Amino acid sequence: MRRRACIAVVLVTLVAGGCKSSDDANSVQSTGTGARTETLKLGAALSLTGALAREGVLTREGYDYCKAVVNEKGGVKVGDVTYQLDIAYQDDTSKADVAGQLVSQFNDQGIKFVLGPYGSASTEAAAAVIERNGQVMLDSAGADDNIFAKGYKNTFAVLSPASLYVTSMVRAILELAKPTPKTLAIISADDGFSKTAAEAGKAEAEKRGMQVVALEYVKNQTSDVSPALTKIRGLNPDVVLVSAHLVEGVAAIKQSKELGVTPQGFGETVAPPTPDFVKTLGPDANGVLGSSQWTPDVAGKDKYFGTAQEYAAGFEKSFHKPEYHNAEATAACLALVLGIEKAQSIEPAKVRDAVASLDTPSFFGPLKFDSTGKNVTKEMVVIQIQNGEGVTVWPVSSTTKPLKWPATAR
Amino acid sequence: MSRFLQATVLGLLEGGLYALIAVGFSLVWGVMNIVNLAHGAFVVIGAYLAWELKEQFGIDPLMGMVVVAATLFVAGYLIQRLLINLVVNAPIWMTLLLTFGLELLLVNAVLFIATANLRHISTDYNTASLVLGEVRVPYGQLIAFGVAIVLTLLLVAFMDRTRTGLAIKSTGMDRGAARLVGINARHIYAVTFGLAAALAAAAGAMVAMARPTFSPGDAGRFTLFSFVISVLGGLGNTWGALAGGLVLGVVQAWGGQYLTGTLVNAIAFGALVLVLIVRPSGLLGKPFYEARVEAA
Amino acid sequence: MATPAAVDVDSPPAAESPAVGARPGGRWWAWLLAAAAAAYFYIAPIMLLDSFQRTLATVFMFAALAQGWNVIGGFTGYPSFGQHAFFGLGGYTVAVLMAKARWSFWPSLPVAIVFGALFALLVGMPVLRLRGHYFAIATLGVAEGLREIVSNLSSITGGGAGITVPAVGALATTKYPGNTAFYYLFLTLAIVSTLIVWVIARSRFGYALRAIHQDEEGAAAMGINTTRAKTAAFMISGAITSTAGALYAFQQVTVYPDNIFSVSEFTVLPVVMAVIGGTGTVLGPLGGGVALAFLSEWLRRHYTDLHIFIFGAIIMVGVIFLPEGAANSLRVIRTRRRLPFLENVRRYRL
Repeated sequence: MRRRACIAVVLVTLVAGGCKSSDDANSVQSTGTGARTETLKLGAALSLTGALAREGVLTREGYDYCKAVVNEKGGVKVGDVTYQLDIAYQDDTSKADVAGQLVSQFNDQGIKFVLGPYGSASTEAAAAVIERNGQVMLDSAGADDNIFAKGYKNTFAVLSPASLYVTSMVRAILELAKPTPKTLAIISADDGFSKTAAEAGKAEAEKRGMQVVALEYVKNQTSDVSPALTKIRGLNPDVVLVSAHLVEGVAAIKQSKELGVTPQGFGETVAPPTPDFVKTLGPDANGVLGSSQWTPDVAGKDKYFGTAQEYAAGFEKSFHKPEYHNAEATAACLALVLGIEKAQSIEPAKVRDAVASLDTPSFFGPLKFDSTGKNVTKEMVVIQIQNGEGVTVWPVSSTTKPLKWPATAR
Repeated sequence: MSRFLQATVLGLLEGGLYALIAVGFSLVWGVMNIVNLAHGAFVVIGAYLAWELKEQFGIDPLMGMVVVAATLFVAGYLIQRLLINLVVNAPIWMTLLLTFGLELLLVNAVLFIATANLRHISTDYNTASLVLGEVRVPYGQLIAFGVAIVLTLLLVAFMDRTRTGLAIKSTGMDRGAARLVGINARHIYAVTFGLAAALAAAAGAMVAMARPTFSPGDAGRFTLFSFVISVLGGLGNTWGALAGGLVLGVVQAWGGQYLTGTLVNAIAFGALVLVLIVRPSGLLGKPFYEARVEAA
Repeated sequence: MATPAAVDVDSPPAAESPAVGARPGGRWWAWLLAAAAAAYFYIAPIMLLDSFQRTLATVFMFAALAQGWNVIGGFTGYPSFGQHAFFGLGGYTVAVLMAKARWSFWPSLPVAIVFGALFALLVGMPVLRLRGHYFAIATLGVAEGLREIVSNLSSITGGGAGITVPAVGALATTKYPGNTAFYYLFLTLAIVSTLIVWVIARSRFGYALRAIHQDEEGAAAMGINTTRAKTAAFMISGAITSTAGALYAFQQVTVYPDNIFSVSEFTVLPVVMAVIGGTGTVLGPLGGGVALAFLSEWLRRHYTDLHIFIFGAIIMVGVIFLPEGAANSLRVIRTRRRLPFLENVRRYRL
């Protein structure tokens, strides 16, 4: 009897803890001059632990920098209320279902504006919940086109979609590399984002007359791509492109050297722009192309962060040299801030409409969303690692140094 | 043909390293009937310590390996004596859960202290490859393979020729009888566990040197492969672990070449289940272990 | 011959003969209390936050998973470490039927349950011949292998890219019912699985399972068809687990193989819950599931960086001091009026 009673009492207490209570997400401080200062709380469910912890931390830095700069410049003015930003972080442990759960909890705490998680899987799960709850999410790191094929109206991505990651490198190579390479081999991880990027890249290459001799898949997050490399070695491709993440990307370069896979050049999607890439590979990183959402050379400026160079300088003072994961996070936060300012309201529906109608330059590039929520005007940037640094080589308008080709030492 | 040879060479080299990772796990399971789910965490800790030694003091991983192994021997001894000893006689899932909790603890401690950054130890010798016609043999992996063989041989010699080694084997066969002849079973158990941890740490140092990158998340994979290899080769059997590792490495490499690259793990598990059903004592194991009564 | 140390002379209470100690779930006032609790939970959503309902739905799911393991692991003593195979199988069955064959959810669910039971039957034939650790590893191998196979059948399952259940918009075969609906579904599943365990505990079948746990040869000598009993237990366990997986897939909308076939989430965690709650009991896994799920959630919220670390430490402490589980320990406290914690340690250490 006592045992069951104990269990029952415990359960009741726990359930009572979850009962409805009006939880105010915003707190009011009066400055006494008629203009009020309040706090606007944003929610961010990030992968602070788990497989994507590294990228999750980079994203958090980007969000934090945005919060610091916006608050320093006075906050977001809506009418005669000035909102200071505050971000509530929760750990989705790199799992998509947890991300969805956390967004749901944000909603119940009254947090209607959410800054996106890292990765397409978590973003997709979160987007479904956002849509149902009428929240608004600014996606900083979920690029898979599939997210935007579902008819969601409340999620906006500041970054270029997955289908451009490999395509932009193909375009850059065909435009700039002399002599023009003819054959291409693609290695792709088997997750949704990488596959979308690889398939789009393959289509673009074939459209432009290249011969794609192989498209090999490897297990997502594997640190061993030697089976794929052994397969393509005998085919002697001119170019090898890798559509994967940091782990596979680093492994591909290392093991290519070990196994004697020597195309004219390598290109990879996510890995080269990250600081870990150069640190782990050392001199072997030189010559590798990478597709990046942003470099400090892109055009555009905005009132909070200035130009891309100014953003880079400011970010470096607080954290370290920024790379695109930081910048895209800051850009998502920026788009939300601009949307709130344009709507002159913190009502989710009004902000949503305002964000949807944004058409403005920024340090990250132009911010303008199509009807599905994708950022259609921003192009991807292709970099090449030269002397241990990522150098913008494409589009030509942003180029600081020319492309070195052949990129590998033959 | 060169693809086949290349794949076979790579598979053997990788298999040798896997065997080193697994041999301690197999030993602990065979002697103490404890499945240590935290084994992969020891490998990762060994890798990080070796990396730190290289980074801070410039110690080459082959030297660092010795330091790391000694450190983890002590740590393993203490963990067994003070912690795992508490559930040695308990039903199976107790030890499984205890070591699972330990694994969570260790991996997340490493994650917290060292962060999730990918790491790798670069040395002068591990960037090039030996070229044999069309087949490339990466030096880093070759050296790791050599180390694995040497350590395995040393372990066999230890188990067969020294008093402690014989004490371990006899405690594994019949604990009660071993205690009757004066062997301190608690101490021997702790030594065994410490030895396993030391071997895992040495393997970790080699992983840091030979594999492209490592991070805390690799711990689970190492433990899983240790399972497969221990079962394949036969519990507590050092040669069996070596054989199992080589077989697994080669089969995975061939599978990766001639089937799609993403089936690599499925092959490992298929092999595991097949062996369990057909010959549970493993390729080289003796049926004795199967007949041993397990605490319910 | 077996060494004295290897044979567990002092059997854990889970394997005790039911003649000793309380008859499982026999008192009338316990029934009243249980019914009242169930009624409370059915009415509760009116006053609960939406996200809390979602949290509770997850809690109930884990309770059901713990009960599912309890049947094969707790009662029969065969520690299955491959429950996530059934979980993922149920989930993918529903997802594939809804996404590719354009079925509605409600006919897909029974198919998932049946597949779970059939898979258990199929896998059980070779694997139930093994004992102890070997059985655990074999089930783990089967589950991991299944995940890899599902990962590779890209044309049917979408492979590593995942598969999405059509639940929103014009293309939906069944409209997404919302957090409250899933709360009820999982609550019902938790109650049904506990009832199944209760029925098993009082039936001859349950006694057969316990006999197998204590001494399989002896049970066979008594005339129990151990193969049939074990297989039936495995099938029941598989069916419960695959039902949970099917509901989970619908709730998550998008399913990835690495997520749904996660050994730590959907096998080890329920085992921890069942063990800490009390294996081989009726209410143990239920209580253990609820307590640990809430604990995990609370830790994640308040210790963002170290919650897994702390959780691991708690598991370790729980296993050392409460190896019989809370339910059995509470019974010991009640009947023998002693605190069993240090006794347990003394009993199991070397």
